[in-house]
Amino acid sequence: MFESAIKIEKLTKIYDGGFKALNAIDLVIPKGSFFGLLGPNGAGKTTTIGILTGLVNLTSGTATAMGKNVVREFREARLLMGLSPQELNFDVFFTIRQVLILQAGYYGLNKKRATERTDLILQQFGLTEKAHNTARELSGGMKRRVQIAKALVHDPPIIILDEPTAGVDIELRHMLWNYLRELNREGKTILLTTHYIEEAEALCDKVAIIDQGKIVTEGSPQELISKLGTGSIEIKLHDIPSELNIEPWEFSRIDNVIHIPTSNPEKDMPKIINILTKLNLGIEEVKICKSSLEDVFLELTGRSILEDTMESKNV
Amino acid sequence: MFSNGFFVLVKRELLRFMRLWKQTVMPGLISSGLYILVFGHALGARIGEIKDISYMNYIIPGLVMMSVINHAYQNSSSSLMQAKFLKFLDDLLITPLSGLEISMAYIIGATCRGLINGIMVILLSMLLTNFSIDNILLTCLYLITVSWAFGAMGVIVGIYAKTWDHIGMFTTFVFMPLSMLGGVFWSIEMLPEFWQTVSMFNPLYWMINGLRYATLGVGDTSQEISLIISILFAITFTAIASIMFSRGYRIKS
Repeated sequence: MFESAIKIEKLTKIYDGGFKALNAIDLVIPKGSFFGLLGPNGAGKTTTIGILTGLVNLTSGTATAMGKNVVREFREARLLMGLSPQELNFDVFFTIRQVLILQAGYYGLNKKRATERTDLILQQFGLTEKAHNTARELSGGMKRRVQIAKALVHDPPIIILDEPTAGVDIELRHMLWNYLRELNREGKTILLTTHYIEEAEALCDKVAIIDQGKIVTEGSPQELISKLGTGSIEIKLHDIPSELNIEPWEFSRIDNVIHIPTSNPEKDMPKIINILTKLNLGIEEVKICKSSLEDVFLELTGRSILEDTMESKNV
Repeated sequence: MFSNGFFVLVKRELLRFMRLWKQTVMPGLISSGLYILVFGHALGARIGEIKDISYMNYIIPGLVMMSVINHAYQNSSSSLMQAKFLKFLDDLLITPLSGLEISMAYIIGATCRGLINGIMVILLSMLLTNFSIDNILLTCLYLITVSWAFGAMGVIVGIYAKTWDHIGMFTTFVFMPLSMLGGVFWSIEMLPEFWQTVSMFNPLYWMINGLRYATLGVGDTSQEISLIISILFAITFTAIASIMFSRGYRIKS
């Protein structure tokens, strides 16, 4: 049995023209994990996924899915993966039911099994009523559901979702989140790329942050936030003495509010309140500002993960 | 060598053009019917016979071949271009299907459309004229190999093309001149010596005359060389198309 669902070693991609999209990255995605690959547009997320699924030719390095080399053993490797690309794409000559049956067929499912899987997926995604419509006749949200359904129809153990909730409404986003959690509980390995921080924090048990073709850090969201996050506690006091000392913490003050940066605000808050109480300072309000993966990204790269979302092209 | 997925893709290609029969079968039939009426009936009487065959019957193999070539090429090139343009080609590239399987499925789809169009034009010709087939097996062999060759050519152009104009340009600037200069409407012996020599380098000339021999029992060319050229083109274009697909030329980054 392989411990890793996906293993990437020294993976490099240099596009025609010399742009280095991936710079010898190493990555292990454990079997059964919900793994988030985070980074701004152009960081190398889609290139990584493209190499795994056969849409992009690698320059050097290796990538395996459940131990199967994605280049040399591409047939076996691709059977193990299902991809939902970021950009919506549909075979407009057929109804969505036919599209799903065909897609399952390309993966070798016989007609009976392909039909069963298709009808089940259509039901799970609330698409049964639209089964005989073409993709052109569907709303944006419905199209996104079909896009994800295509990745699942052959029942792969590894599901790769490239920005699956880009442009969908909150209701559908939460419906998809619940569905993906359920799939993960059933044992599917999920690789998710996103630049929605809250999505990664809500779903992923492990994340890797990629920037400019390099993995800059990886770990569980909580580990990264604790290690690299910059949370804070804000306390509004009735009165602040001119020589206030709450060592070992440092603070800044604005009017009657002291701002205390800390990587672990929940743990530090009782201790700080204890000090302030002993000093007989009247506490009026306490606010915890929790750190997020966005702060982790900012700390590591000096840039916001969403900084260039609007202007950069995904590679 | 060929997986179950390959046969599903072949089925998809067949279903696609059969659903669009008004666009994929009818136009060839109508244009060939018009050629027979205009060229055959209107001009045929003035031209008389070529090699003891009525002019109308003489041009039918050429019309059949034009229809076969055009539809086989159009099928694979446009199907592939649509898949590229609407990006659902990615849905195929991520599957376990090999480049050879994907290209072969497109070629088989194109071959079937070319074959159907060729047979329809032959049937129409039989209905409108006294055209009959001398050697059915050889006729089928020509229809299949030429459909296959230009279906494979369509895959190559479909992969190469970045816009729909590229697909159309090939028809306008390559197929049309080669068809017209390939002896659809005349025998090579009716041309000046220079053009007779030029025609020898036109593969369509060999293919059209091969089919003319198979259907009418007369032709300008060596029957064996015509067949060998048709088969060689089919094999060469198939190999190029498969290599392009396997390497991801212009379809993978």
